[in-house]
Amino acid sequence: MSASPLADALEAKRVILCVGSGGVGKTTTAAALAVEAARRGRRTAVLTVDPAPRLKDALGLGTLDGKPRRVPLGGVGARGAHLDAFLLDVKRTFDELVLALASTQDQARRVLENRLYQNLSSTLAGTAEYMAVERVYRLAEEGGYDLLVVDTPPARHAVDFLDAPRRLANLLDSRAFAILKDPTSILPAAGSRVAHFLLASVLRGLERFTGIGLVREVSEFMGVIESLTAALRTRVGAVGDLLRGPGTMPLLVTAPEPRLVYETEVLVKGLAGIGLTVGGIVVNRALPRALFGSTAGDPGLPDGASGALATRLRRAYTDLRLLAARQEATLAPLVAAAGAPVVAEVPLLPMDPGSLSDLALVARYLFPDPTGETSPASELGC
Amino acid sequence: MPPRLSLASQRLVVVTGKGGVGKTTVAAALAHAAASAGRRVLAVEVGRGRLGPLLGVERLGGDPTRIDRGLAAATIEPETVLGDFLLSVLRFRLLTRRLLESTSFQVLAAAAPGLPELLVLHRLLGWIEARRLGRPVHDLVIVDAPASGHSLPLLTAPGALRALARLGPVSDLLGRLERLLADPEQTLVCPVTTPEELAVRETIELYTEIASHALPVAPPIVNALPPRRFAIDDAAMLARLESACGAHPYLVAARLQIERRSQAETQLRALKRALGVTPVRLPFVFAEPETPDALAELSAELANATGFAA
Repeated sequence: MSASPLADALEAKRVILCVGSGGVGKTTTAAALAVEAARRGRRTAVLTVDPAPRLKDALGLGTLDGKPRRVPLGGVGARGAHLDAFLLDVKRTFDELVLALASTQDQARRVLENRLYQNLSSTLAGTAEYMAVERVYRLAEEGGYDLLVVDTPPARHAVDFLDAPRRLANLLDSRAFAILKDPTSILPAAGSRVAHFLLASVLRGLERFTGIGLVREVSEFMGVIESLTAALRTRVGAVGDLLRGPGTMPLLVTAPEPRLVYETEVLVKGLAGIGLTVGGIVVNRALPRALFGSTAGDPGLPDGASGALATRLRRAYTDLRLLAARQEATLAPLVAAAGAPVVAEVPLLPMDPGSLSDLALVARYLFPDPTGETSPASELGC
Repeated sequence: MPPRLSLASQRLVVVTGKGGVGKTTVAAALAHAAASAGRRVLAVEVGRGRLGPLLGVERLGGDPTRIDRGLAAATIEPETVLGDFLLSVLRFRLLTRRLLESTSFQVLAAAAPGLPELLVLHRLLGWIEARRLGRPVHDLVIVDAPASGHSLPLLTAPGALRALARLGPVSDLLGRLERLLADPEQTLVCPVTTPEELAVRETIELYTEIASHALPVAPPIVNALPPRRFAIDDAAMLARLESACGAHPYLVAARLQIERRSQAETQLRALKRALGVTPVRLPFVFAEPETPDALAELSAELANATGFAA
């Protein structure tokens, strides 16, 4: 029995990273993969970023306390299978680190109230994303799991998210520190009075805009972070190794929509920039080609359909032929943009999957029975 | 029936919504609708996206490019705008470049709360206030705002910064921006969503956010609504055919469309109930949605909704 590349990954990998644009079913795919991995006997954890309400409930993540939930899989025929679900709350984790590492309560409070920290930790420096990635690392190393399935933020932010360790390391770079301590060192005539004057006027401009003592707040922030530097640097290296190592598979989740071709190009380029290569593509929302694709013949109206209903049936069918043609035209450039093979297709479902049995159904599409007997789309009548 | 999404005197329309709901397509269609109605429209995207290609321009520039009669488009790239700002302060190109290339400066500038948003708004204000021969160069500026979750950093930045900068030219600028954004005669925020669970939930949260900042807001635009292809009394006959023929492609198509429509209606109802307004609906486009024909179809729908068609 030849297993699919996706089945191999489920068997052999330690981390599956689901990346892709917003609104393509990334979270659902991650959850379905995790359910299937658990069903196949691997101790599995799924880490999700922003599940829809019903899916959140299905995974038992209704409360936002950051604690993992054991997902009961008895109802989908996998009693005893081990699946835990985590909600990756990007902001919280860094606050927790500051609280843990600050030497006094007062120091922690000063940092948490620092406006610059509030901005930095949620946006630019990627420190908060780093903490989410770091949580993935901790779970991979110490969680006792065989497999982690990780859902990431939508495309544009996915690279920020995954690149967070490197960016944090850059921030801790000694030159950056030097600059923050004496910002004029970046100017051509460093140390000169003109340089000081120019920089001071820029900073004054910025400070007028923002009303905060940028330099002071940066130093304060850096001061606290600096005291953690050595430990963080080691950890950052290890996290990078995990993400880029052979045990991790970046899996692109996408859909055959024109807008996604460009977004995929950007994402793949961004991932390549941080040393990650997409290992496979899951295509969601594809119409079954056997029924509506360009090579499928028009079977004509089913026997017994007539009158207004016949017209409506023809219209409904024509709609989907059009959609299928557009999807086919999009798929080739999409695959080219991703530079990886399609490992599974999940058809457009009548409703967005929201329960564990919906996830089990999605898993049947992700891992079709090799004999084809129970392939959900293979029943054709009349 | 009065137009749902009335656009009369407004000078600024901000099209917003989460990623993947068709925000850019709606912004482009709205720009066409307004231009066809005789307005001189400037369509603007923040960052580099698909607005240019949708409007038939390979690459938009930082200055308005004329596209058609009454229609121009431009892009605002926050980094460039920051460069312009720095240049105006420093007056030396080399120095500006050195500063922009420095990681630490990027950290400083991007971490300054609201600064990138403020720079974008400042550029928009420039276009709104531009006049030639005594009348505005652009009647209407339509912005395809960056994808938002349930927050609106672009529109809330002036209010947030106001508390910090109380005096001087910056404070004056903030005041002008705040007045512009809060004035229903001048500004309209148009949230776009799809009739899907997650998107609808975020849209409801977005309205709460908009209300808390007292911004003028239009009814939501529900994009990509699956059509109603069947009548209620088709159900019995369909069921009979299904039991006779199994998964015949025509019947699979029918079932899929009925289910998708019913799911969408559930979400439409949830949206309507939560917001107390009737959404503007745009149909799902089965063929290629980014063609001139498809854009024209959406544009015609929006012309009706905005009253441009009248």
